[in-house]
Parts: sequence; C-alpha cells; structure tokens
Amino acid sequence: MIELQGLTKRYGETRVVDDISLTVEQGEFCVLIGPSGCGKSTTLKMINRLIAHSEGKILVGGEDITTLPPERLRRRIGYAIQSIGLFPHWRVADNIATVPKLLKWPSSRIAERVDELLALFQLDDEGLHDKYPHQLSGGQAQRVGVARALAADPDVLLMDEPFGAVDPLTRDTLQAELARVHRQTGKTIVFVTHDMDEALRLASRVALLNAGQLVQYDRPAELLVAPANDFVRDFIGRADLGLKLLSRRRVEEYCRPAQRTRNNAIASAPITWQVDANDRPMALLGGRLGESETARTVVNPEWTATPDMSMKEALSRMVWFRVTALPVLDGEGRLLGEVTMAGVMGHRP
Amino acid sequence: MSRAPSSRRVLLIALGALLIALVLGMEQLAPLFRALFPDQDPAMYERESFLNLTLAHLALVLVSSLISVSVGVAAGLFVTRPAGREFEPLVSTLAAIGQTFPPAAVLAIVVPVAGFGFVPTLVALVLYGLLPVVQNTVAGLGTVPSQTLEAARGNGMNAWQILWRIELPLAMRIIIAGVRVSVIINIGTATIGSTVGAKTLGTPIIAGLVGNNLPYVIQGAILVGLLAIVTDLAFERLEQRFSFGEGGNAS
Repeated sequence: MIELQGLTKRYGETRVVDDISLTVEQGEFCVLIGPSGCGKSTTLKMINRLIAHSEGKILVGGEDITTLPPERLRRRIGYAIQSIGLFPHWRVADNIATVPKLLKWPSSRIAERVDELLALFQLDDEGLHDKYPHQLSGGQAQRVGVARALAADPDVLLMDEPFGAVDPLTRDTLQAELARVHRQTGKTIVFVTHDMDEALRLASRVALLNAGQLVQYDRPAELLVAPANDFVRDFIGRADLGLKLLSRRRVEEYCRPAQRTRNNAIASAPITWQVDANDRPMALLGGRLGESETARTVVNPEWTATPDMSMKEALSRMVWFRVTALPVLDGEGRLLGEVTMAGVMGHRP
Repeated sequence: MSRAPSSRRVLLIALGALLIALVLGMEQLAPLFRALFPDQDPAMYERESFLNLTLAHLALVLVSSLISVSVGVAAGLFVTRPAGREFEPLVSTLAAIGQTFPPAAVLAIVVPVAGFGFVPTLVALVLYGLLPVVQNTVAGLGTVPSQTLEAARGNGMNAWQILWRIELPLAMRIIIAGVRVSVIINIGTATIGSTVGAKTLGTPIIAGLVGNNLPYVIQGAILVGLLAIVTDLAFERLEQRFSFGEGGNAS
C-alpha cells in the first residue's frame, strides 16, 4: 500500500532522514517510533508531501506521489495531528466535513457521512454536532480529529502523535478506540509516537528509527524477543521487557479449563472454583498466597479477567490481590476458564 | 465590555436613535440654544442642513476607510505570504510614518497639489487610517496557530482555501478591531477637512471657532461625538460575530 524506497531528506549537509526503505501492507498498522529528532515525523510528512523529500521514492497504492498535485494527494490520505489542529472557528460537524467539502460531495452525502463518523466514535449522543472545538474535552477533540481524517474514507491514514496532548486515562481509551476503528475499517495506518507502550499496543508493525535511519522494522513481538541491537533493546526498555511482552498477549491465549465444584468440598486440583447454578464463580478454593490449600476466597469482581484483557493487566491483578489464579469470565459473568501464575510462566510465546 | 451584551445592544439602539433625531431635528432645538446663549445671534447653524453635513461627513469617512482598509489589508496579506515576507519591516515603517504625520501637515502639503475640498482631506484620512489596519492584519494573521495551518494543508486545502476559509476568518476579529480604530480616528479627524473647504460636520465647528460662536461648535461636536460612539458600538457587535462560541454571543 505504501512503499518508501531509499527515502532521504537533507537540510543542507544534514540528512534528517537517511535512506529509509520499508513497505506498509494494506490494512497494516505501522508505528514509526524513535527518540526525538530521529526523523519519524519528517518521514510521515513526506508521505503526504507536507515536506518534500530530497531523494528516493514514495509509492502510495502503487502510484508515485509526485505524479499528483499535492492537494489531490492529501485529500486521498487522512491526516490527524494533536487536537489543536481542529479549526477553532468551525463546529464539530464542519470540521469533520473538511475533506468531503473540498471534494465537493453533495451536502446530503456529507451530512450522512458526518453522522456515521460521530456514531463510529461514540460522539453522537452528546449534542456535539454543533459545538466548537474549544467546548470539547481533550478526548472528544481528539476523536473529532481522527473522524475528520477518516471523513472522505481514505485508504491510508497518517497520524502524527495524535494522542500526545491528552491525559493518560483518556489516551488509554483513545488507543482502545483507535484499535477498534482499525479493526472495523481495515485502513492502512501510519502512526508516529515516541511512546513504546503505545506502539506495542497499537502496531501490527513497528519501525524503529534512530538518527534518520531505520534500525528495525518488525512485528512488535519480534521486536521484543529478537531486538536487532543494543539500541533497540535500550529503547524498548530492558527492565520491563517481560511485562511489555505480556502487554501484547491477551488472556484468551493463556486461558485453560477451570476445575469446578458446586459445594465447598475441595476437589483434586490445587485450584478449584466454586460456581453457582448459572456457572458464575462465587469463590476460589485454594490458590491464595500465604493461606492454606483449603482456604476459601470469595470472588471479587476486581480480580476477574475477560478474554480480551492484556496478560499484563491480568498479572497485575494477581499480584495486587495476592491470588495465583483469575477466573476468566464471558459477557454474562460465566466461568470460561482460568489464568494462573504458573500459566504465565509456563506459556512459551 | 463588562456589561451584558444585551445592554450594549440597547445602548447602541438608543444612541443611534438619538443621533438620527439630532441629525434630522437639530433645528427644533433652536429655542433651547437661544435660551442657553442669549447673547449669540444666530444661535443655530443654518447655512447648511445638518443632514447634508452628516451625509458629506459620512461619505468622506466611508471612502477614506474603504481605501485604508483595502490597501491596509492587502499590504498586511502581502507581507504575511512567503513572497512578501521580507517587505514586512518596510511596510510597517511606511504605515507608521503615515500616522506620525499630523493630518494638518498632510493637508498643508496636499492642498497646493490637489486643491481645496474633498480630495486633500481624503488623502490625509487615508494615510492616517492605514496603520491600525496594517498592524492588526499582520497581528491577526499571526495569531492563527501553526498547527491549524498544518492541518489545513494536510487535509488538502490549497493556498487560497487556507486564506479564505481558515486564516481570514480566524484573523477577522483582530482585523475588524483595527478597522474600528481606523474608522473612529477618521470620524474625528475628518472635521479638520473643513479648514480646507471640505464639507463635513467640522464646518459648523470651524465656523463657530472662527466666529466665536459656541453654539455652532456644540452643534457640530455633539453630532461628531455621537457618530463616533454609535459607530464604535456597531463595530463592537461586528467583532463579536467572529468570536466563534467564545464570549457567549455567537451569531
């Protein structure tokens, strides 16, 4: 979908982007990451010609980007930056409609598309349609920014640190939402960040840059288990490599069948779940650190897991609540299985 | 600004009505002026109707402001484009010189060239009104955040679209503030055009000063003053139209 071939940007003698070649396949979520000044943002902006490249070639959808007038190219590529990039004098609906208006869509189609996007980003029920950007919360403004980038249904979406200016809690929600939108729309996304956790969470491929050069371009798991060199290892953070790896894994990958009982009797397994008539776990028998093997612990909703939870979070809950197993629950609260401390250690990725 | 917008509106309407009433019916106040100034004869300026004087005054201000604003905004736009950026200091200096020149001096220079009346006054007013427009156009365009401009470019707007849809609307409030200053200055300054024979509301004032007739001065001055205040209030409302939801009085 996007091909960078020997891409170079020179300012005088300095090469801020130096001979980068990589391919982003259709539907891929590619994160460009690296320390400040590594050229990640410059690389992104060369894709939609906000910055002209000095050498090399960029193909989008097989076409050399220099064959199109820059405005035409940019209307075909979604572009999202930090929320301050919203037009302060336009209402939310007008902001989202920016590119469709430039493309002269009929107004009925624009209105339809705006409503669709407001619904996609769960912005439809708060009367946001007619608000001005400064009347929005940081998270809302950021969603509008992404909705605007998606408005004309581009195949490619470029995002330049879009969540850089929001608080950690909101960022977490926005990341989850972007992952969902990516799954739902199958867009090809190129995303710039300097936050490794954000990259590992969102990316299907990570391009790690340093001093204008591409150091490693790989799936997140490969980056973690097979870093190309010490720079990669350092940048990922040696200390919590294991936790980063777990943050990429989901509970369902570690979930195994649980031992059930309907009464207080201890079954043969060291960890047994007492369930009610609807198969909902009520108590954990055994499996509590520092207690006897027969100890009964009432299940607390705060130490349960769901299949799509990250293993990092599951592990964190085990540690915090001092249990060696979490029940994995489905949407109705029924017991699907369990994840255990031993399982975290034993599972080979 | 501290008062609620609605009370400003009432003030504008009330003063506007008073202005119109005085322009049309100043003559009705003749008994009042005769009572206040029993020694003056005549106590009411009657060589020309106040309606004619006001219209002539407005025409002068309108034409000079139109020229100041078009030239000033154009100059401001030019020096904020990539092609004209290096001319910015030059243009700012020229505009500043235009305002440091006293209008009376401009009249003295222009009259021998252009004769008496409307034209020299127009030249003086245009020069005098240029600076606030240029200054505020440059300042207003400067307040547009660079991220907003980058977003506009990144979303596929061309240079014209960015100017018309993004830069000018966002700068408009500050540009209008400059126009407001320029027009208000010109409403007052236009009166001195009467010293070189232009017909303005300054005519009764000059006549009164020359003939030692205080009622004439008051009659001219009160209309100029009211005109300036009403125009100022009207501009204040116009500026609010470009507040985009801020200040609570969006259009």
